[in-house]
Amino acid sequence: MIEKRLYEQILSIALSGGADFAEVYCEYTHNGRISLLNERIESITDEVVSGVGIRAFRGTSTVYGSTSDTTPLGLIKCARSVAAAMGEVGEGQSVVLTERIFPNIHPVRIAPASAETSIKTDLLKLACSSAKAYDKRIIQAAGNLLTVDHTIEIANSEGLLTSDRHIRTRMAVSAIASDGTETQSGSCSPGRGMGLEVFEMFKPEDIGTEAARQAMVNLGAVYCPAGQMPVAIESGFGGVIFHEACGHSLEATSVGIGCSEMCGKLGQKVANEKVTAIDDGTIPGAWGSVNIDDEGHPTQRNVLIENGVLRSYMIDRLGSRRMGMPSTGNARRQSYAYEPTSRMTNTFIDNGPDRNEDIIASIEYGLYAKSMGGGSVNPLTGDFNFAVNEGYIVRNGKICEAVRGASLIGNGSKIIQDIDMVGQNLATGQGMCGSSSGSVPTDVGQPLIRVSNITVGGR
Amino acid sequence: MNFDLLKNALVKALLEEGLTEYEIYYMSDESVSVATLNKEVNSFSSSESGGLCLRVLVDGKMGYASTELMSESEMAELPRRAKSNAEATEKPDTVGIYAGSDSYEELKIKKVELLSAADLKDYAIKTGEALFAKDPAVKEGTSSQAICAGTTVRLVNSHGVDLSLDCGINALIGEAVVGVGDENQQDYSFKILTGDETVTEVVDEAVSEALARIGAGSVDSGKYNVVISGNQMRSLLSVFSSAFSAKAVIDGMSRLKGKEGEKIASEIVTITDDPQREGNAVGTTFDAEGVATHRKAVVEAGVLKTFLHNRETALAMGKETTANASKAGYSSPIGIRPYSFAIEPGDKSQDELFAMAGDGIYITEINGLHAGANPVSGDFSLQSAGFLIKDGKKAEAVKGFTVAGNFFELMKSISSLGNKLERGVTTGFTGFCSPDVLVPGMSIAGK
Repeated sequence: MIEKRLYEQILSIALSGGADFAEVYCEYTHNGRISLLNERIESITDEVVSGVGIRAFRGTSTVYGSTSDTTPLGLIKCARSVAAAMGEVGEGQSVVLTERIFPNIHPVRIAPASAETSIKTDLLKLACSSAKAYDKRIIQAAGNLLTVDHTIEIANSEGLLTSDRHIRTRMAVSAIASDGTETQSGSCSPGRGMGLEVFEMFKPEDIGTEAARQAMVNLGAVYCPAGQMPVAIESGFGGVIFHEACGHSLEATSVGIGCSEMCGKLGQKVANEKVTAIDDGTIPGAWGSVNIDDEGHPTQRNVLIENGVLRSYMIDRLGSRRMGMPSTGNARRQSYAYEPTSRMTNTFIDNGPDRNEDIIASIEYGLYAKSMGGGSVNPLTGDFNFAVNEGYIVRNGKICEAVRGASLIGNGSKIIQDIDMVGQNLATGQGMCGSSSGSVPTDVGQPLIRVSNITVGGR
Repeated sequence: MNFDLLKNALVKALLEEGLTEYEIYYMSDESVSVATLNKEVNSFSSSESGGLCLRVLVDGKMGYASTELMSESEMAELPRRAKSNAEATEKPDTVGIYAGSDSYEELKIKKVELLSAADLKDYAIKTGEALFAKDPAVKEGTSSQAICAGTTVRLVNSHGVDLSLDCGINALIGEAVVGVGDENQQDYSFKILTGDETVTEVVDEAVSEALARIGAGSVDSGKYNVVISGNQMRSLLSVFSSAFSAKAVIDGMSRLKGKEGEKIASEIVTITDDPQREGNAVGTTFDAEGVATHRKAVVEAGVLKTFLHNRETALAMGKETTANASKAGYSSPIGIRPYSFAIEPGDKSQDELFAMAGDGIYITEINGLHAGANPVSGDFSLQSAGFLIKDGKKAEAVKGFTVAGNFFELMKSISSLGNKLERGVTTGFTGFCSPDVLVPGMSIAGK
């Protein structure tokens, strides 16, 4: 997208304010969104995101400038402003770039932009008509098909010049059920770092049916009782518990400035010995996978916690400087407008020793959280919350009536000690994770687990 | 390229495609921020971006295409993309591109002059130092940030409408980390920056609120009289405000469907929507379709007076538009959003509200609104923190509990309103405001 010699010139200017490192990130992204409502295509929008982010470091001080003006003059102006903000502008050290190509481990068979629009609209219609057909009380099915075709180039003053193209596809269906007095909703929104071939893996009719099924369960559900109790959390998006309760506290974003309850705990037992947790950006075609992170570092598989013992943090380049530890390929950003920071990729609790049926059978009175919503955490204190989208009361080891409106709250460092049973049906769920470098796709995952005691918010 | 050059290139390409009914919506943003960590400047960032969204009417359907790439070749390409998107859309467009309002209000909220990078740096350093000087418990990880942000909008269409808006804010954030014994807590304060007095206000608020969290106890599960702080009630209102959108009503996604003219809230509740609320930092005089905006009561003395409309929903429901057409981002389709949406304040001081609550809980923090609140059903169950109210007075800090309920039931059970309107800092055109509210008998899940 930008000539190599121009990259070299921009980097040299960016260094000229006394920086010891400079980086240019150039992006060209095509975002497509098709929306269906009331059984017809409601709108189609597409958007080109195009711009450049220039960063300079001196020690752990950073300057970041971004612009959507990608003309040579616009880039030079941005680089000059970065240099001026860093310090007195002198002679910029010259930079010689060597292009490096990393292997593509996420091949795409059907790039969304190349497919006829009618193919995409038909997929969405199939999903939403399946939702409506599920029950007469499904009064609305809304669907979105989201496609992202993202090309980046990264050049830095260490001589790296590299590029990557990343495609991802997601369908999100929400169903509304009403019996005239109550109105409840259900949703299903799978996605992958793949093209339209993803719908051979997830059948659109199954996506619609699942959203409708969940809405109908909630329509017939009673309010969840409140209190402390054991909770079995199902596989897949249930893994959001680890993401919120522990994952964010292992990011260099908070660890590197001493604002995480996980600081200084490498090698220590921080979780129940049944818990092994992994962040892996290399899983082919996964939602949170990329070939290289947003600083040009190849992604990798990082074992964060092994049998309860803390083994690794997730570290970006700035975090690496702050912490004196190598980068782990976790630098991510939503777009060129954001300075990258350490973020999760595909983060999950690995399979454990317990049989799933034993986990439910072990609960005398508690909650079975079959489907989870999102949540949030304060990494400093570890206090977190997340929502239960579909839940059931467990009595005497049996799953009983459906309950709605539940949330789970607790403290991260305590809860990961309290994960005392880990099952064997590891699966993942897709989310968009928000933090200081914007919204990025992340997978969460786990097998069925039991938390021995947690506060269930209900009424 | 400047806007007029782009527009000329685009109009030429539109005519070549035979497209005569169109709208060009251009939005550009600029921002600068300087941050300190542990009193030292550790980060400086600046950004400039601009995007253009083209809407065209093709055979009675609306097509959109957007780009940040401001080149002549991209402008030549955009009409073809928008046309192809219109052709694959199935929903007929009933209102087309807007011909323009007879008159527009005068813009009462003038754009502030954005601070220079040097001034921002001074404010960030002053704030960082003042945070540490405020209390010996303030520790490593404490940060400050001074920001300026400006937005320019230009809306030009084939009916000769040509509107523009220029707005901006300067703001200051202080985030205090405090440690007492083994316990660390943090809190922040985010305010519009008007001078050195803002530094004092931000520092006082961030440090005192972080310290107030230290040693928080737990609460027993049960029903409590609850005072929800204005800032937290504002957040709840923002999540459930979609129920007031006529589009949500038409699409079966609002529990307020069919309730116009009915009592939906306690009679002390009045909700207004004001594009130029006095005291706000940003405001507008036209909506995302170019319709002249105005203040209106949405709920008056508990009765639902109107939904929020754009031209399409107004036509579908036989009403006048309330000029609430909005775009979530420059490239988004036309939707509906309020401007400054406020529960109007009442007449009670905070102490009077605590006295009326007797024994209860004052909620000053609610988390996880994006997940634990369902805008369609109104149900919520949310991680909270705050203070006990004992014998009508604010007492010790508590945390680790949830507050649960249903927003539509909550609106009916508000029994008293505070006299101070809390408003958030927003760089966009939508913001929410509320006073403290007293709600009897809310469900709390604690130990």
